[in-house]
Amino acid sequence: MVNSNANALGVIFANSYDNLVPELVAERTMASIPFGGRYRLIDFVLSNMANSGIDNISVIVRKNYHSLMDHLGSGREWDLTRKRGGLNIVPPFAERSIKMYSGRVDALASILSWLEDQKERYVILSDCCVAMNMNYGDLINKHVESGADVTMVYTRAEIPEGARNDNYTIRINDGRVTELLSNDYRPGVQNLSTNVYIIERESLIQLVRDAAVRGLVYFERDILARNLNLLNVQAYEYTGYAARIADMKSYFDENLRLLEEDNVDQLFSADNPIYTKIRDDNPTRYLEGSKVKNSLLADGCVIEGVVENSVLFRGCRVKKGAVVRNCVLMQDTVVENDTSVEYVVTDKNVHITAAKKLSGTESFPVFVAKNHTV
Amino acid sequence: MAKEMIAMILAGGQGSRLYALTQKLAKPAVPFGGKYRIIDFPLSNCVNSGIDTVGILTQYQPLVLNEYIGNGQPWDLDRLHGGVHVLPPYQQATGSDWYKGTANAIYQNISFIDRYDPQYVIILSGDQICKQDYSDFLRFHKEKNAEFSVAVMEVPWSEAPRFGLMVTDEDDRINEFQEKPKNPKSNLASMGIYIFNWDVLKAYLIADEADPNSENDFGKNVIPSLLRDNRRMYAYHFNGYWKDVGTITSLWQANMEVLDPSHSGINLFDENWKIYSRNSGRPCQHIGADADIVNSMVTEGCKVNGTVNNSILFPGVVVEKGATVDSAVVMGGTVIKAGSKVSHCIVAENVMIEEGATVGAMPEGGLDIANPGDVATVGSGVRIGKGATVGPKAMVSNDVKDGEEQW
Repeated sequence: MVNSNANALGVIFANSYDNLVPELVAERTMASIPFGGRYRLIDFVLSNMANSGIDNISVIVRKNYHSLMDHLGSGREWDLTRKRGGLNIVPPFAERSIKMYSGRVDALASILSWLEDQKERYVILSDCCVAMNMNYGDLINKHVESGADVTMVYTRAEIPEGARNDNYTIRINDGRVTELLSNDYRPGVQNLSTNVYIIERESLIQLVRDAAVRGLVYFERDILARNLNLLNVQAYEYTGYAARIADMKSYFDENLRLLEEDNVDQLFSADNPIYTKIRDDNPTRYLEGSKVKNSLLADGCVIEGVVENSVLFRGCRVKKGAVVRNCVLMQDTVVENDTSVEYVVTDKNVHITAAKKLSGTESFPVFVAKNHTV
Repeated sequence: MAKEMIAMILAGGQGSRLYALTQKLAKPAVPFGGKYRIIDFPLSNCVNSGIDTVGILTQYQPLVLNEYIGNGQPWDLDRLHGGVHVLPPYQQATGSDWYKGTANAIYQNISFIDRYDPQYVIILSGDQICKQDYSDFLRFHKEKNAEFSVAVMEVPWSEAPRFGLMVTDEDDRINEFQEKPKNPKSNLASMGIYIFNWDVLKAYLIADEADPNSENDFGKNVIPSLLRDNRRMYAYHFNGYWKDVGTITSLWQANMEVLDPSHSGINLFDENWKIYSRNSGRPCQHIGADADIVNSMVTEGCKVNGTVNNSILFPGVVVEKGATVDSAVVMGGTVIKAGSKVSHCIVAENVMIEEGATVGAMPEGGLDIANPGDVATVGSGVRIGKGATVGPKAMVSNDVKDGEEQW
């Protein structure tokens, strides 16, 4: 066997941390939140896996997953349309549980039989709320070399305001995790978990089966944190660029952080490209009157006005005399003539009519929901 | 399962008049319009017209084209039965041959066409920029109960002698064909797009192959034979945008015309007739704080921090601060460094234009797309050294050293 494939399969949780961004997930999952002009959050973890030779991936969804299904299709854009493995979307199994998955253990319990049937030795578990550009090859190697039961990926970062009640931090001693704190609120830079884990498939099955029997719900709190003496949990630091979505404010900030060229280059490294669904838009047109500075634009936009410090998704239109400053405009947003928008986040298909003025502030950007006309 | 109509695209042309641009790739693979290649037009027209089986006949430098077409997925042509197939010449029990002419290329692929048992075959050219609904052409062909139809464009009488002309009666039936005549009797120019009844075409291809004096060319041999035999031949009038981009000037013009759809008639921005292409998979374009972009098209992966006017930038082009790009077509991966000036030219893929270099020049009378004058050309992978100059008439396919001038 040629050694191009990793001996690991992927499990992605599409709905975790939905509660942090209620506005954005009103009609979608955390995984399908648009990000960075032309991507959805799940694109990062899916592309990372595909680029690392992981081609057997289950995406566990809980609710509002139509947009995600539409985005993923058969997985072709990530090269995951395979006879063996490929992309597998797992909705809740209606007969088995009227209640929805409440934690990872529940969710994993629902795919136990699938997990049992697979051949890969390791499983990589991931959420979608942290956009990173990471090749898992090194993580897998380190995990195998260290002989750990579980290896978890963390970044050195401050705990985002919005994630005060939804985070895990770790204390590390010589590479091993000695303490796992939930909902940490200490100020300053911490060892913040990215909720990416690697574990042997057989042990995961055992742990989940055991936890499910005892009615435990959370993988971190109920399984890992309680057993740090028993389980050898190793910490793996991710030092590259990471965008963590913890609330509307951080969503806005993380989009605008991509205006720094360095950040774009890191998140979309040519060695580890990020794939997404193709829309076949034509190139963006800058017509007479366009004045675009310090911005990120996807294809299919038509610009006749002023755009500064903003991120424009595919197919946005900024008409004559319009001014867009410090905004994130999701796909197909139209800003009509002589309208000014500042510190605004628009969801898809928003129409801002002519000669209006709409502005939020840096600390509190205005959000306009999907398909709304202002 | 028989198909009503399948398409055969003639894509073997070398495009020798595009010289520096076609050293390493076939003309149909030449990039166009910001994110497309020329072949995207006939392919997209096919799928938009409902044709799901396409043969692409290649023989010159097919590597880039082959890789680009792949399994046809970007055009929705990855089909269980049919789809897109690249058809290079191949060896047979009786020997092997390059495609000797357009008709011979189809002749050598009779068995490919027979697999689909089509009623009609449409022959397309892989080097034209044109948005056309072939299903309307087929409707015409059927209405006239024709055996052969050709798409024609009305051209000014003064230019008629440069074309193959169809002389027709009031019912559009063709009664004479003039190939580049001195005294034209018609101004209906053939676009090189034909619909044949497959049984008729097959019989004529076999007869044409048997004729040792034939050049095996549709225009020179097959169409005249059909006329001689008084076959039912009709001319289908096409009024849309059509351009043969066989020269540097016409390729540059067609690109410039894309920027001005309301006047030129080529509208790439029509949601109902999308042109599909293989995606570069790059992130959003990054427009810097010092950028100034007007009347231009920029696509994914570009980084612009200079001045761009009247130009088209392909995926991944970098324009550094202080560089100016005017009336230029700059293909994918090219880097234009600080202080350089790139104007009125075509720059191919992955070119490095170093600091302070000058490529091309705006004509003295200003920009005139219809009569552009000189269009400088830089071939792919070339490095234009620091402070070097590439004159407006130059066609560069080798590196230009620092400070050197090339006219």
